[in-house]
Amino acid sequence: MKPERGTFSGVAERAAPALVVIAVLLGWELLVRWHGIAPIYLPAPSSIATYLFRMIANGSIEFNLGVTLLRIFAGFAVAAITGVTLGVLMGMSRMVARIADPWIAALYPLPKIALIPLLVIWLGTGEVYKIVISAITAFFPIVISTYAGIRQTDQGLIKAARDLGANRRQIQMKIVIPAAIPSIFAGLHLGMGVTIILVVAAEMIGSSSQSGMGFLLIQAGQVMETEKVFASLIVLAVVGALVIKLQEWIDRKVAPWTAYRDEH
Amino acid sequence: MDVTVEDVTQVWPGRRGVDVVALDRFSHRFASRRFSCLLGPSGCGKSTLVQIVGGIETASSGRVRITDPAHREMVRPLGADSVMVWQNLNLFPWRSVLDNVAFGLEMQGISKTERHERSRTLLASVGLRGFEGHLPGQLSGGMRQRVALARALILERPIMLMDEPFGALDAQTKIVMQEELLRVFDETKKTIIFVTHAIEEAILLGDEVIVMTARPGRIKEVLPVDLPRPRSLEMVNSKAFGSLFDRAFHLIREEVMTSMAQQTMALETR
Repeated sequence: MKPERGTFSGVAERAAPALVVIAVLLGWELLVRWHGIAPIYLPAPSSIATYLFRMIANGSIEFNLGVTLLRIFAGFAVAAITGVTLGVLMGMSRMVARIADPWIAALYPLPKIALIPLLVIWLGTGEVYKIVISAITAFFPIVISTYAGIRQTDQGLIKAARDLGANRRQIQMKIVIPAAIPSIFAGLHLGMGVTIILVVAAEMIGSSSQSGMGFLLIQAGQVMETEKVFASLIVLAVVGALVIKLQEWIDRKVAPWTAYRDEH
Repeated sequence: MDVTVEDVTQVWPGRRGVDVVALDRFSHRFASRRFSCLLGPSGCGKSTLVQIVGGIETASSGRVRITDPAHREMVRPLGADSVMVWQNLNLFPWRSVLDNVAFGLEMQGISKTERHERSRTLLASVGLRGFEGHLPGQLSGGMRQRVALARALILERPIMLMDEPFGALDAQTKIVMQEELLRVFDETKKTIIFVTHAIEEAILLGDEVIVMTARPGRIKEVLPVDLPRPRSLEMVNSKAFGSLFDRAFHLIREEVMTSMAQQTMALETR
């Protein structure tokens, strides 16, 4: 139910989430001050904010965030291109599906973080390692969703297209692939989520590059600069949310019809 | 085009190895330029029959011959002369109204300018001028129905197969679409095979009403409808219409009872 505009309860419903955020921050601030909690355990929101602005002013947030975002987009791009391609091929050719299926079934449940030692041995701790570990992780949800989307094409649409004179290739290009777009997008969303996780994790574990938000976090943690830890976490949370919003916006631009798809 | 259906039987492999006979030795000649309505209870195989005629399903046995009345010896390939209007429309949700209608022409490799031009003209004739850029999901049920009709008409195939196309529409929209279809039939004189379970609709639209039995689907009786054309909705109140309705109603009543008993049994033995 949508809150009604203008009425008191409507305004209250709209304002409530923001008010709760302010109340929590205020409570946190007061708790830290009254009990004199040491900043290395729990810094006050005001000092986290001060640190955050200082880190923005000296450029360390911008630099490390930029590096992390580049790695995320590189890993995601590799996973998206390979995942969608293999998913489409599996959906179109039973042979490809048969060959790929056991590999996917075996590798998908494996926690990809467990591959880090092996990848470090093979690839070292440079950029390639971070991109490969995030791409491998994102690859699976993308390929699985794409394949499912291709396979679950509404048979009615295929029959209708054939009846209107479409040949096999036309059905695949004009019906099956567009019909799979919502599930491909769903896979890309899942893939983006795990890419963010894995890039930050890879920056924290065994990275030689001394850069990125993961590095910033682990470095601040090691010297007990808890304010910096919180500041980095806030930046990651906000940027992560923005990336997801951006993705949803692209979805709506590329496939506006998905908004109406269930209203037959 | 004449559609001659000879001894068509369709058997579906059922659960627990018990096959379901959907159609049992169905034979009928759907004459050229005639509007035939298939009337029967649900599950009587009427949708299956039109799909077999359209070359979409393959019959277990029997055959369908499509022939031009002028060259009776030449049998046309199934599906080449017919187009289907589906019960659930099957519009392509990602394509605009214009590109849905133009789909068949696009598959033939007709240039974008020409196919859009022809689609625009056709859309205007079914009252959809100004909606070319909309997506199917943005339209009302009746408007989507018109898009589906236009998408089939643009191919100018002589046979139109319609599988309960108006089943999901509200009563008022249904009346408007029936009038629209009557106009299309009078103008194009296609051979139409129209599946329905609404007695009134079958009589109002058809030159003949083929009443089918409950599963396995056979012909129970063929009722010729001699109401004059052009048809209009006022004919529903005429005496001739009334007596046809009574006749069809009595024929179909028994079959609906049988069909319901079958469904109850199917549920109990599940």
